Amino acid sequence: MSQFLEKIKSFTLWELLVGMKLTGRYLFSKKVTIQFPEESTPTSPRFRGLHALRRYPNGEERCIACKLCEAVCPALAITIEAAPRADNSRRTTVYEIDLFKCIYCGFCEESCPVDSIVETTLKNYHFTQRGQNIMNKQELLAIGDEFEQDIARDKADDAAFR
Amino acid sequence: MKIEIEIDGKSFEVEPGKMIIEVADAAGIVIPRFCYHKKLSVAANCRMCLVDVEKSRKPLPACATPVTPGMVVRTRSKLALDAQKAVMEFLLINHPLDCPICDQGGQCELQDIALGYGSDNSRYDQGKRSVKDKNLGPLIETEMTRCIHCTRCVRFGREIAGISEMGSIGRGEDTEIGTYVEKSLTSELSANIIDLCPVGALTNKPFRYRARAWELTQHSGVSPHDCVGSNLHIHTRRNAVMRVVPKENEGINETWISDRDRFSCEGLSSPERVTSPQLKRHGQWETVDWQTALQTVVEALQDVTEHHSADRIGGIISPNATVEELFLFQKLLRGMGCHNIDHRITQTDFHYQQAMPTYPKLPVSIADIEQQELIVVIGGNTQHEQPLIHHRIRKAWDNGAKVIMINPVDFEFNFTPTQTLLVENRRLPEALTGVTRCLAESQQDTEIAKDLLQSVAVTPAHREVADALLSAKAPLILLGAGAQNHPQAGLMYALAERMAQLSNGNVGLLTAGANAAGAWLVGAVPHRGPTGLNVSKPALDVQRMWESELPAYVLFNVEPEHDCANSAKALKALSQAALVICLTSYKTPAMEQYADIILPIASFAETPGTFINVEGRWQSFQAAVIPKGESRPGWKVLRVLGNLLSLDGFNYVVNTEVTDELRSLATTNTPEQPAGPWRYPSHLPTVSEGVERFCYWPIYRSDSVVRHSQPLQKTPLSETPVVTMSPQLAQRLGLEAGTEVKVSQGGDAVVLQVCISHRMVGDTVGIAAGFLETAGLAESFGTVKIERI
Amino acid sequence: MMTQSKPGLSARAKAEIDEWLKKYPADQRRSAVIPALHIAQDENGGWLTTELMNEVGDYLQIPHVAVYEVATFYSMYELKPVGRHKISVCTNISCMLADSDGIVRCLKDRLGIEFNETTPDGKFTLKEVECLGACVTAPVMLVDKTYHEKLTPEKVDHILSELE
Repeated sequence: MSQFLEKIKSFTLWELLVGMKLTGRYLFSKKVTIQFPEESTPTSPRFRGLHALRRYPNGEERCIACKLCEAVCPALAITIEAAPRADNSRRTTVYEIDLFKCIYCGFCEESCPVDSIVETTLKNYHFTQRGQNIMNKQELLAIGDEFEQDIARDKADDAAFR
Repeated sequence: MKIEIEIDGKSFEVEPGKMIIEVADAAGIVIPRFCYHKKLSVAANCRMCLVDVEKSRKPLPACATPVTPGMVVRTRSKLALDAQKAVMEFLLINHPLDCPICDQGGQCELQDIALGYGSDNSRYDQGKRSVKDKNLGPLIETEMTRCIHCTRCVRFGREIAGISEMGSIGRGEDTEIGTYVEKSLTSELSANIIDLCPVGALTNKPFRYRARAWELTQHSGVSPHDCVGSNLHIHTRRNAVMRVVPKENEGINETWISDRDRFSCEGLSSPERVTSPQLKRHGQWETVDWQTALQTVVEALQDVTEHHSADRIGGIISPNATVEELFLFQKLLRGMGCHNIDHRITQTDFHYQQAMPTYPKLPVSIADIEQQELIVVIGGNTQHEQPLIHHRIRKAWDNGAKVIMINPVDFEFNFTPTQTLLVENRRLPEALTGVTRCLAESQQDTEIAKDLLQSVAVTPAHREVADALLSAKAPLILLGAGAQNHPQAGLMYALAERMAQLSNGNVGLLTAGANAAGAWLVGAVPHRGPTGLNVSKPALDVQRMWESELPAYVLFNVEPEHDCANSAKALKALSQAALVICLTSYKTPAMEQYADIILPIASFAETPGTFINVEGRWQSFQAAVIPKGESRPGWKVLRVLGNLLSLDGFNYVVNTEVTDELRSLATTNTPEQPAGPWRYPSHLPTVSEGVERFCYWPIYRSDSVVRHSQPLQKTPLSETPVVTMSPQLAQRLGLEAGTEVKVSQGGDAVVLQVCISHRMVGDTVGIAAGFLETAGLAESFGTVKIERI
Repeated sequence: MMTQSKPGLSARAKAEIDEWLKKYPADQRRSAVIPALHIAQDENGGWLTTELMNEVGDYLQIPHVAVYEVATFYSMYELKPVGRHKISVCTNISCMLADSDGIVRCLKDRLGIEFNETTPDGKFTLKEVECLGACVTAPVMLVDKTYHEKLTPEKVDHILSELE
């Protein structure tokens, strides 16, 4: 009996129809693909993308060169040199992140006592030349300046869960 | 008699009178503490070490509770832990939460103990107090808000440094630790309070914000600045010396180091470092590669041996050089047939050199100095020359020993010596003769040096010193730099030995530099080879080398204008020489004039090596960092030179092979010889009249590394080139403080300001060496003429 | 450096200090620091300059900072110029319960100054101090070296008007 049924299924291309049913379902369901770069997927405020150094609203850089991020970084991607600034405050003279080494774990952000180093939700960036993978202090601050509103909003959104 | 106590269930047999914390520390039982320090008195004011003692109603401070028979102590019972946690909470009330910007972060006792005993949040919700920072000078940074009033720094000043400069000002909530009046700390040991401070209130100023404790790599080292050989921990990061801290060695430096040892590393990064070999061609300095430089050196030396002879070369090496460097230096020159080798660059009298022991060594260990009954220092400003030996002398004085100073200047010490015999520098031999005569007459042993003793009249001061020497069991007589550099050094050494013989005492030399003992042992002297073997061929000592105006000089880590006695003579000899080869770490303006070839050698912390300290202890160390630029370790440069000159026995691979060779020589050759025999002249040499110069090296001008350390140069102890004289002499000469005067000596003259000090005596004027401004004088201890400009 | 002759302690003051020194063992001159500072303060119009404290330290052969420690610890020593009369009011518990607040208010109103201030004419300085040890007769104030006890505002007015 079962052999007979197998034969019928085989002659009527039953498996094909079953497969086409799946195809047909997805053909008419809501599309999940997006048109990158015109469109992009939504990201969580916790997304760990490109790094930035933030400033206080008065323009003072937040980083105090405590070097906790450098110490905690599992990939040894962060390099910091510190020295007293002219006003005798503790500041970095060099702050570099090697994005080739970085594993985007977010420990730097976690360890920062002043919310200075953050991982923004930026994920679309590229390097065209060797050496560009090392972000220096000016570049990191510039990213922070440009996206401060987004960073602040993401931090505020996430604050309730921390 | 020992008593038995129990701590945390373990029984201990201990000496009565010990505190609980001492027993616990020895047994490795951890009791938290802030104010207790084993080298300081007990204050018991932090209360962190409260422990539970059975039969006591309250927890007791372990640091201030002596053990009693049958005592049962629990350091981790609920009572003890509750007490400790409560104390911690109080301590943190006013402590700022600024660990991220605090240099102590990561090496902080408060941080560590707060992790174990602190709560994760504070119940204190009122304003924290803040305290204005104090300015304690160029070495110590303050952040007094962080202070927890443990008073370790205050007790250190009182008990160790001997200069009370810090105190607790105010009371209660308003208590502040400080100096009250703004002043820089003047102690030569002051920076030890950085290590003592359990929080970040006192931190290392030059090191400020530059590195974190966890980034540093620790290397062991030995201080290259004095004959103590203090043990150091050199902290490096990315091939740079970041800071130096003491390494505990109970027998040498205990837990301390002098500021000179700690901050000299700041000189390593000086822009005046030579970082590549340089040649002078047609009066212009050119940077060349090592190959060219070494080839030029070899050719030039061969040229001298051909045209003159090998013994027309003068080899002068710093007493701060390592054993390896000293050994290879003499081996190189002796291999070429030249015995003109000397390290005694600060000395002026050498006629006694045959009577020197194989190598100078203290008759007692450094640690035993504090057990002495009587210490007589002749010609020594020990506090500045060997700060940590002075610390032991002060400890001896504190223990009730008598300390007698026989000096040409009433040096300021951190204690009041029992007696100070002040005489003009040229009359020091006379004073010693007087004392010896008293001793000889008391012991009825006047045969030795009879005529000499008879030629001097005895004064009550001589008698007083002699009485002290006779009443002590085994007095220790120490000869400082002032005695060893003296033009009558040999006579003074001989008299000191005679004094010791007559009083059953011992004589020790507090030698210049870090490795004078090593220099003697390897034969970096003209009359002796390695391990004290005599050299039959007559050779020149350093002063004869200058006077003979040789055609060629090889200088190893020596800046004659700063480092040598009779500096003008040295400069004159060097300027006429056809060839001056400098193996050096720093280039000076004068060196640019006289040198022809400069080979850059590694400085402190950059070279492996061995120092033999003043008690004869061999201390080897490894390099902490790679030498700066193209510099190479001195011993390697000498080794390559030996090879290039085709000399035998220069095929060393590592520096330890050199020390091994020296050690095997020392065992096969003659045993160590003691000092002597001594010969005494029939009368004292005639004393010149008029104003005489007393030459000394100020504490922070002692060698080139120290001279290039900017923080040290800014301290109150750092001196300026002046001519210091007594008020009486100034009055006689009609001079006031600050007057510019011309100080002349024969044809040489320098212009200096007058400084008036009641510490000077008679016609002796103090003119320091180590400055370019004073280098123009040809006689370190000769008469000078002082005229108003 | 020459030791200069310093202004400050008079020969009479030194003689007084010597009297005190006699009461202590010869090797413990430090013990006389409190009376010595009082003598120095009285001679200098009620306050101590750093130079005076240094001089006391030198005279007693103790480090200067040891003198500063004592002088800053006790509220009886003034380190800034004070008026001709120093009024010290106790505000500790016994006096507080006996309405020292009223006394303080009265003094402040009458003199027109706050604590640790001096009247413009240089006559009075007002200070708040801890227990003066006369709780039984609270509230208490100390004017120069005289205790005034069981104070009332009227009594305070009277005391102030008596003072020159």
